[in-house]
Amino acid sequence: MEFARSKSLSLGIELELQLVRAHDRDLAHEAGDLIERLAKIEVPGAVKPEVTLSMIELNSSVQEDFTGALAELEAQRAAVAESAGLLNLGVCGGGAHPFHDWAERRVYPAERFKAVMQRYGYLAKQFTVFGQHIHLGCTGGDEAVYLTHVLTRYLPHFIALSAASPFYQGEDTQFQSSRLTSVSAFPLSGHMPFVADWAAFVEYFETMRGYGIVEGMKDFYWDIRPKPEYGTIEIRVCDTPLTVRRAALLAGYAQALAAWLLEERRLAPSRAVYQVNAFNRFEACRYGYLGQLVDPHSRSKKAIGEDILDTAAAVMPQAARLGCVEAVRELADDVQLGRSDAGWLRARLTATGSLADVVRESAARWSEPGASARL
Amino acid sequence: MRDLAWFLPAWPLAFGDVALFGALLLAGLLGGELASRIVALPRVTGYVLVGVLFGPHALGLVQAPLLTGARVFVDLALGLIVFELGHRLDFAWLARNRWLALAAAGESLGCFFAIYAGMLYFDQPPLLSACAAAIGTATSPAVVTVLAHELRASGQITERMLLFTAVNCTFAYVALMLFMPLVHLQNETSGRSAILHPLYLLTGSALLGLAGSLLLLFIAKWIGKREDRQFILLVALVVLVVGVARALNLPVVAALLTFGMLVRNLDNEHALLPLRFGDASQLLFVVLFVLTGASLDFSGLETVAAVTAVFVVVRFLGKALSILALGRLSGLRAGGAGLLSLSLLPMSGLAVVMINDTAAIYPRFGAELAAVVLSAVAVLELLGPLATQFALKHAGEAHPEA
Repeated sequence: MEFARSKSLSLGIELELQLVRAHDRDLAHEAGDLIERLAKIEVPGAVKPEVTLSMIELNSSVQEDFTGALAELEAQRAAVAESAGLLNLGVCGGGAHPFHDWAERRVYPAERFKAVMQRYGYLAKQFTVFGQHIHLGCTGGDEAVYLTHVLTRYLPHFIALSAASPFYQGEDTQFQSSRLTSVSAFPLSGHMPFVADWAAFVEYFETMRGYGIVEGMKDFYWDIRPKPEYGTIEIRVCDTPLTVRRAALLAGYAQALAAWLLEERRLAPSRAVYQVNAFNRFEACRYGYLGQLVDPHSRSKKAIGEDILDTAAAVMPQAARLGCVEAVRELADDVQLGRSDAGWLRARLTATGSLADVVRESAARWSEPGASARL
Repeated sequence: MRDLAWFLPAWPLAFGDVALFGALLLAGLLGGELASRIVALPRVTGYVLVGVLFGPHALGLVQAPLLTGARVFVDLALGLIVFELGHRLDFAWLARNRWLALAAAGESLGCFFAIYAGMLYFDQPPLLSACAAAIGTATSPAVVTVLAHELRASGQITERMLLFTAVNCTFAYVALMLFMPLVHLQNETSGRSAILHPLYLLTGSALLGLAGSLLLLFIAKWIGKREDRQFILLVALVVLVVGVARALNLPVVAALLTFGMLVRNLDNEHALLPLRFGDASQLLFVVLFVLTGASLDFSGLETVAAVTAVFVVVRFLGKALSILALGRLSGLRAGGAGLLSLSLLPMSGLAVVMINDTAAIYPRFGAELAAVVLSAVAVLELLGPLATQFALKHAGEAHPEA
C-alpha cells in the first residue's frame, strides 16, 4: 500500500450535517433532493451522501491555511443554505439530532450504504450522528504513523473543543459529546495498533486483509487514522460544530498543534498513551473542558481545559507562521470562559423550553452568513 | 308476564349515535383490512367501499337521516384534518421559493380554468360550470393527510402535496364564495343579500379562524411547552371552532383552514410545539371515510359518464400543467413533478360538503351542481387514493414498512 505524499500540514475538512424538516424540526429524509439540487450549481469542494437520507457531507478541497479553509466553508455554507431553503429544509451542525428516533432513519439508496445496513443492522441507522473530520497532509507514511501516535494524547482537546451533542433521543445525556459512544459500538473502532513505522503498519493491514476482516482503510473507524490515498492523517473525533467558523477554527488548531509536534519532536510515541486513552476520551466526552486528562509522559493529571490553554500558548509560534493565531486564540478564549456548543444548546433549551426550538435556533445559527463561533 | 317485562327495551331497538359510531368504526376497520390484505388497496379505499356497501344506494343499512345525524362526526374529522393542513401552509417557504409559489397558484388556476372550459364545451351553463370548477379544484384534504399518515410519508413530494392541497382548498372556497352573488341573483334573491351573504361567509370564517388562532397562541404561551397539555388545548379549540362555525352558519372547513394557517404563520414566538394528532384522531378519520362512502352516488354516473370522464381528465391535466412546467425550477428532482400531480388527484368529502352547503341555500341549483360533480367525486373517491399511494410510494417517501 503506497502512501501518497502531500504537502506537509495541508488541510482538508469533512463536515457531516443534519437535514431537518420545517414543520416539526425532526430529521428529514431529503438528502437525495438536496444533493441533486446542489449538483446543478457551482459549489466549491464536494457534497456527498452519507449512510442515511437525513445527512449530507461537505468535503473541502485541499487548503493551505485557516483563512482559505474558512473562506471555502463559508462559500459551501451559503450554497447549501440557499438550496436547502428552496426545499424548506433546515441545515444544522451539532453531533447528534436532539430528539430523532433512530428507527425512523432511512438508508440512502446506494449499494455502498445498503451493504453497510446489511452488515451492521441497527448500528447503521443509529450511526446517524454528525462528525467533523480534519485531514492533515503528511510527507510520508512514517510521518503519518508518528503523528497518529503523538496526536492521540491530544484527542481530548478536539473532543472538548467541538462537543455539540448533549441531547440524544430526546434526553439530556449529561455528556458534552454523546456522539462518540455510537462510534464505539463498531467492531473496528478504537485506535491504530502501536506500530513503529509505515512498513509495520502495512504489515498489520495486510494481515487483517488476509483474514478478510477489512478490505480497505475505510473499514477502520479509528479516532485517528492514516489515509494513504490522500497522503493525510484524519482526526475523526470532533462533533460537527454549530457553525462553519468553529469547524475552521478546529482545523487551524490541529494544524498548529501538528506543526509544533513535528518540529519539537519532544514526544516519543508511547504505548502508555493508548493505555490511558479510553479514560481520557471518556472524560472529554462526559465533562468537556472540565474533564481530567492523564498525561503518561509527565505522569500527571490535569483538567482538559487547562491542558488546552497550555498547549495553545506553546503552539503560538507555529500558529503565527501558519496564519492561524486568530483560530488558536479564539478557541483558547472559549476555554477560558467555559463556552462550548454543547453549553449553547443546553442554554437554548432552558430559554425556549423545547428541543424542537433548540433545533430551529441551531439551524438558524448554522445558516447565518459569517456566523460567529461565539455565542 | 307483561308487567315483569318493564325493564326490557321497546322494540324495534332505538340505537343512538354512540352505537352508530361504533358500528361505522368496526365496519370501516374490517373493510380497510380486507382492502389492504386482499387487493393491496389503500385502507382508505376500504373504508369508502364499506360506506358504499352500507349506504342508501346498496344495502341501505345507513340511510339519509342517519347521515345527517352523523354530520357532527364529519365536521369534527374534517375540522382536525383541515386544521392540520392549514398548518402546513408555510408562507415563509412560498416567499423563499417563488417558483414554488407560482406553481401552487398555477395549479389552482390551471385546474379551475381547465374544468371550466371542459364544462362549457359540454354546454353546461357558465355559472354552474364555474361553481363546479371551483369545487373540482380542491384536492381532498382528508385523503392526502390520512394517506400521508398511514404511509408515514415524508419528503418533498409529500410536503408539496400537502402545501398545494392547502392552497387549492383555500382557492376553491374563496372562488365559490365569489360566485355566490351570481348564484343569488340567478335565483332572484334581493341584491343586498347577494352581496352580504358571501361577505358574511368570507369575513366570518376568516375572523373566526383569526380569533381561534389568537386564543390558541395566547393560551399555549401561558401553559408553556407541555406536549400533553398543548394537545388537549389544540383539540379543544379545533372542536370549539367547528361548533361555533356551525352555530354561526359559517363554512366549517373555511374557518378551520384559516385557523390552521394563521396558527402556523402568526406564531412568531414559537409558543406552539410541533403538531401531533395521536392515534385517537384516526378513529374519526375512519368514520369520516365510511360516511363519505355512504353518501357517494353512482346512480347518475351512467347518464353523465362523458361529462364525468372529461371532468376527471381535464382536472388532472389542469393540475399537472403548471407543476410539470415549474417543477424543476422550484427544486423538484427529475420525475417528481409527475408524481406530485398524480398525488393531487383525490377529491372527496370536502366536495360533498361544499355541495351540501350550496344545496342548503338553493336546493335546485345544488341539485344541478350535485349531478355534475358528485359523479366525479364518486370516481375520484376510489381512484384518488390509489393515485396518491402510487405517487408517494414511487417517490420513495412512504415508510418502507408502512
